[in-house]
Amino acid sequence: MNTRMIRYLLSITLLIEAGLMLLPLLVAWIYGESTTPFLLTVIILLLISLPAVFFKPYNTRIYAKDGFVCVASAWLLMSLFGALPFVFSGAIPNFVSAFFETASGLTTTGASILTEIESLPRGILFWRSFTHWIGGMGVLVFMLAILPLSGGQTMHLMRAEVPGPTKGKLVPKMKDSAMILYGIYIALTLILAVILLICGQPLYHALVNAFATAGTGGFSVLNNSIAGYNSPIVEWVIAIFMLLFGINFNLYYFMLIGNFKEIRKSEELRVFLALVLISTAAIVINTAKLFTNLGDCIRTAFFQVTTIISTAGFATTDFDLWPSLSKTILVLLMLTGSCAGSTAGGLKLSRVILIFKNAMREIRHILRPRSVNIVRLDGVPVQEDIVRSAIGYLALYVIMLICTVFLISFDGYSLETNLTAAIACLNNIGPGLKEVGPTGNFAGFSILSQFLLALSMILGRLEIIPMIVLLSPDTWKKMFGQKESAKIRKLQRIHRAASPVRINKRNKK
Amino acid sequence: MKIIIIGGGTIGSAICSQLVQEGHDLTIVDTDQNILNEISNICDTIGLLGNGADVSILREAGAEKAELLIALTQSDEINILACAAAKKLGTNHTIARVRNPEYSELMRLLQNEMRLSLTINPDLAVAKAIYRMFRFPAAAKIDTFCHGTVEFAEFLITKDSKICGLELSYIQKMFSRNFLICAVLRGDYVYIPSGDFCLQENDTVCLVASEEDLPHLLKSIGLHKDPVRNVLIAGGGRTTYYLMSMLRHTKIKTKIIEKDKNRCLELAKQYSCPVICDNGTKQDLLLEEDLEYVDAFLALSDSDEENVIVSMYAKTIAQGKIITRINSMTYAEIFKEIGLDGIVSPQNSTVSEIIRYVRSLANAYQDETSEIESLHRFMDDRLEVLEFSIKKEIEGLTDIPLRILPAKKGFLITCIVRNNRIIIPSGEDRLLTGDKVIVVTPQGLMKGLKDILH
Repeated sequence: MNTRMIRYLLSITLLIEAGLMLLPLLVAWIYGESTTPFLLTVIILLLISLPAVFFKPYNTRIYAKDGFVCVASAWLLMSLFGALPFVFSGAIPNFVSAFFETASGLTTTGASILTEIESLPRGILFWRSFTHWIGGMGVLVFMLAILPLSGGQTMHLMRAEVPGPTKGKLVPKMKDSAMILYGIYIALTLILAVILLICGQPLYHALVNAFATAGTGGFSVLNNSIAGYNSPIVEWVIAIFMLLFGINFNLYYFMLIGNFKEIRKSEELRVFLALVLISTAAIVINTAKLFTNLGDCIRTAFFQVTTIISTAGFATTDFDLWPSLSKTILVLLMLTGSCAGSTAGGLKLSRVILIFKNAMREIRHILRPRSVNIVRLDGVPVQEDIVRSAIGYLALYVIMLICTVFLISFDGYSLETNLTAAIACLNNIGPGLKEVGPTGNFAGFSILSQFLLALSMILGRLEIIPMIVLLSPDTWKKMFGQKESAKIRKLQRIHRAASPVRINKRNKK
Repeated sequence: MKIIIIGGGTIGSAICSQLVQEGHDLTIVDTDQNILNEISNICDTIGLLGNGADVSILREAGAEKAELLIALTQSDEINILACAAAKKLGTNHTIARVRNPEYSELMRLLQNEMRLSLTINPDLAVAKAIYRMFRFPAAAKIDTFCHGTVEFAEFLITKDSKICGLELSYIQKMFSRNFLICAVLRGDYVYIPSGDFCLQENDTVCLVASEEDLPHLLKSIGLHKDPVRNVLIAGGGRTTYYLMSMLRHTKIKTKIIEKDKNRCLELAKQYSCPVICDNGTKQDLLLEEDLEYVDAFLALSDSDEENVIVSMYAKTIAQGKIITRINSMTYAEIFKEIGLDGIVSPQNSTVSEIIRYVRSLANAYQDETSEIESLHRFMDDRLEVLEFSIKKEIEGLTDIPLRILPAKKGFLITCIVRNNRIIIPSGEDRLLTGDKVIVVTPQGLMKGLKDILH
C-alpha cells in the first residue's frame, strides 16, 4: 500500500474541506453571527493538512485497495472535522451527536438528532445543508475535477466514490469527466435555486433547500421541514427536482451532446419513471380518504414518493399515519433507491434490474438446462462479473442491514423503528417509521447507536466495500507495519531535493 | 488531441501511457475486455470492446471527429482495413502497424491510395537498431540524426575506462575531436552535466559526434571493439528475416538457429546462410556452434523469457557482443543490473516514432516555425533527443548568441547542422533559419523549439 500517497490525497481533501467551510463562514459573518466556530475549524484543518500537501510523494501509483482506503478514510475524516463547528458553536455539544449530524449531512441522509432547528444560528444551519451538496457528488470527484492528478490510478478513486454499476467515464480524461459531472450538478442546483427564488423564497432559504435537494439529502432549516413553508408550488418544484437528481447524470451529458438515442435506450430511466408513477397512483388511491381535495392528495403522494425514492427525506406530511399499504410501498422504495450515477442512495435501480434479470435467467436455465442465456441491459449484453458483483453487493447489503438492526436494538425501541432506522441510514434516506418517522428523530438513540448509525450511513454512501476494506485489520497492519524498501526511501529523498542546482553541487566532488 | 488506438497489446499500452502523459484524449478499442480493464487501470483512457475494423465500433469511438487513429493489432490486415475505414469516416491521420515482409512492397504501392499517414514496422526498426550496433559493438545504443551525419552513442563507463573519474571540461580538451557528452545517467536520474561534472564508474553516458569522428573517439576512449564479423542468431522470426536482408551484402557471416521447420525452410530458401533447425536454448547446441568465439550473439526468439535466459547464459561464456530482443520493457531496469546491456525492443523504436508523429502533428497547429524531424529515446526512455529544423525566424531564439539565450533548465542544444557541417555550439554560436538543431532533454514533452524558452 502506498501510505504516502494516501496521506497526500487525504491532506488535499481536508484542505478542500477548509476551503468549502469559508462559505458558511461568510454566511455567519453576513448575518452578524459568531464566526469563531468556523474560523477555529478552518485553522485546525489547515494546520493538519498544509504540511503534507507540500510534499508530493515520489511514487504516486495507487491500486484498487489504496483507492478504497483513501475514499473511506476521506469520508470519515471529513465527517469528524465537519462536526467541529457544531461542537464549537454549542449547537450540538456532544461530539458523537455532532458526528452523526455531519455524517448524515455528507452522506445526504438527512437524519437528524436535532429537535429544535429554527433557533440555531443561520451559519451553522447553512453548513448543515451545505454538507449535503458537498457529499452529493463526492469530495474526491471534486478533487479529481480541479487537481492535475494524472495517471489511470485515479480511476480507483472515482470507482470507489461514485455509486452504482455505471459505465465509468464519459470522456477519455478523468479530469474532464469529473468536471462534466460537477458542471451538470452545479448548473441544476443553480436552476433550482433560481426557481425557488421566483417562487418567493428568500435567498437564504432558496439556497439551503437547493443544496439539500441537489444532494438528495433532506435537511431543512424549519422544524416542520418543507411543510413549514405551506406552499404547494414549492412542494411541486422540490418534488420534481428530487426526481431529476435521482436520474443518472450521464443521461444529462448525453442530452447536452444531443445523443437522445442513448436516453431512449436507458431501461433504468424507464423503470424509475414507471415506479414513481405506479407508486404515486397506488398511494393516491389508498390515501384518498384522508384528504378533502384530490389535488392535495396527488401532490402529497407524489412528494412522498419522490422524497423516498430519491432518498432525500424531506417531509410534507407524517406518512406514519397512512394506511399500511402506502407505508409498505414507501419502505420498498427506500430499498431500491434511484438510478446509478445520481446523487441518490439505496441499492440503485440498475442493480435491482440486473438481479431480477439474473433470477429470471436462472429460472430459464433450470427449465431448459442446455440453453445459453445472456443478461442484457439497455439492449447490450452485460458482462458476467458485473452481474456477479451486483448479486454479491445485495448479499453484503443484507448482512450489513441485519447487523445494524441487531446492534441498535439494544436501545429498546420497537422492531419497526429499528428496522426502518437502519434502512433509512444505510440507504441515506433520513426518516423511517414510528419513532424515527417524519415527525420524530434520532435524538432518542444512545450515543453508541448514533455512532453506529453514522458509520452505516457512510457505509451505505460508499457502497459498503471501501469501509470494509478500511476497517479490516489486514489494512491497518499494512498501513503501519509495512516499511518502504530502501530504494523507494532513497528515491523519495532525491525527489524531495530534486532542484537541479542542488544536484550539480552534490556531484562536484 | 483526440486519438483512437486499436489493439492494446504491449506496444499499444506503452503508446497509451506515453500519449496520456502528453495530455491527449485516448480511446482504446480491443476485442478482449481484460486487456481494456488492465489499461484503464494504469492509464487515464476510455476503453471500447469490439473489432477495430468494424465501422459501427469506429463510429462509437468517435472516428468521425478524431485527429489520429493508430492501428496496432496482431493482424496487419485489420490494421490496414481499420485505417482505411477511419479515413473514410473522417479521421484526419492514420498510422498502421504492418509487419509482414511480404506487404512492405504493397505498402509503398498503396500508401497514397489508402492515404495512410505512416506505416510502422517494429521488427524492421529492431533489425535496423541491431545493424547499427554491429558497427560499434562497444556502445549500448547508437542512433543517427540529420540523415546520418550526426551520431548519438550511449555507453557505460567502466572502472578501466580512460575517462572514468575525470571532469568533463578536461575530457573535452583531452581529445582534439568535435564532440560533446550531453547527458549522464547515474542511478535513476539523468543529469545534463556542466563542465565540472565528474564521471564515475557505472555512469551511463550519452555522447554526440559526427559520423567520421565517432569511431576515432570511441577508440581513444578505449571502448573500441573490432566490427562484427560473424554472428550467431537464436530465433528466426521476422526480425531475423529483416536483419538478414540487410546483412546480405556485407561481409558479416551469420548462422541461424530456429525451432520451427517451416521458418527454417523459408530462411534457407531466401538467404544462403547456415540454418539449424533446433531449439536455440540448448547449451550443447550453442557451444557446438561456437558461442564462445562469435563476435555477436543475438537472442531474437519470440519469447522474452527465453531470450533473457539464453543471453544470461551466453554472457558467462561468450566474448562477443550479446544482443537481446525484449518485447515488453517492464523489467528494463533489471536487465542492466544482471549485465545485459544490448537490449533491443520493438516497443522502444515504435513508441518514439509515434510520439514524434503525434508531437509534430500537435505542434503544426500552433507553431510553424520549427518542426520535429526525428526523435529518439536513450537511457531506458529517460532521455529524449529531438532533431528540429528551423523553418522560419523565431523571435527571441534565432540569431541570438546561445550564451544569452533565456533557455530553461534541463534543455541542452547539443548540435547544430548548417549546410551539412556539424557545429558543437559554444556560447557565441547562433541559431539561424534553415539550421537543423539537436536538443536533449530528460523532461520530455517538447513539441517545438520554442519550448526551450522561458
